Amino acid sequence: MKKGDIFVIAAVCILAAALAGVFFALKKDGKTVLVKVDNEVVCEYPLDTDREIVLEHNTAVIRNGEAYMREADCKNQICVKSGKISKRGECIVCLPNRVILEIK
Amino acid sequence: MSSEQSYTRNQIKKISLYAMLTAVCIIIGYVESLVELSFIAPGVKVGLSNSIACVLVFYGDIKGAFAVNISRILLTALLFGSPVSLCFALAGGIISLTVMALLKKCRFLSVIGVSALGGALHNVAQCAVGLVFVGRGVIFYLPVLLAFGVACGAAVGVLSKLILARIGKSEKNVR
Repeated sequence: MKKGDIFVIAAVCILAAALAGVFFALKKDGKTVLVKVDNEVVCEYPLDTDREIVLEHNTAVIRNGEAYMREADCKNQICVKSGKISKRGECIVCLPNRVILEIK
Repeated sequence: MSSEQSYTRNQIKKISLYAMLTAVCIIIGYVESLVELSFIAPGVKVGLSNSIACVLVFYGDIKGAFAVNISRILLTALLFGSPVSLCFALAGGIISLTVMALLKKCRFLSVIGVSALGGALHNVAQCAVGLVFVGRGVIFYLPVLLAFGVACGAAVGVLSKLILARIGKSEKNVR
């Protein structure tokens, strides 16, 4: 291990931290959640009313100003494990079913 | 290819070696896919199979590294993936290998640093592909992908260093 190694590793980590800081500062609470299937907007709902969005392969839920994917019929379940989103620009993606939840 | 002998002994040796290394890569990749890391970002892996490409690069066989890595990516996509996952894997694989091949000449970096940067740029490339296929929201994964890429790249670098030492290519005689 050379000094240069430590330097580049530290540099990338600092860059990552700086980017994370910038992104976090830029994040704003979103107002609505956009549901896209096959890259086309299917519907848009306000985040301040709780509701359930039933799609062909997925079920999304809006509760307490946050949106999350409750069910998906795919085998990897990545979208279900993605957690809750509420900030502008955040999204949950279900690649197998080509479903995207995006906060606007 | 005709039935007559058209390859030299050396070429046959190389082809078999690459084929074997490709198989090893695919198996490592499969075993890795069993480890769930999706809480970091969707679909992330440590990428230990990249140590084989990394070893080949430092062994001085850059063409071989590309051959093994690209066949690995194509075969993995055929076996377990989709056209979209192929694009992600190809972008990451080609960019990281190119970066490693160029940085290898850098005197102040060892295998570990080169591999760490390769890992980081692998994830930057995949993030760029994500921007095209998924949408702008993917950019928010970039910081965590950078940090994770550099850590995994360093781990792959440590592994590659051990392998290089075992096959009698310590860093001194690589350069």
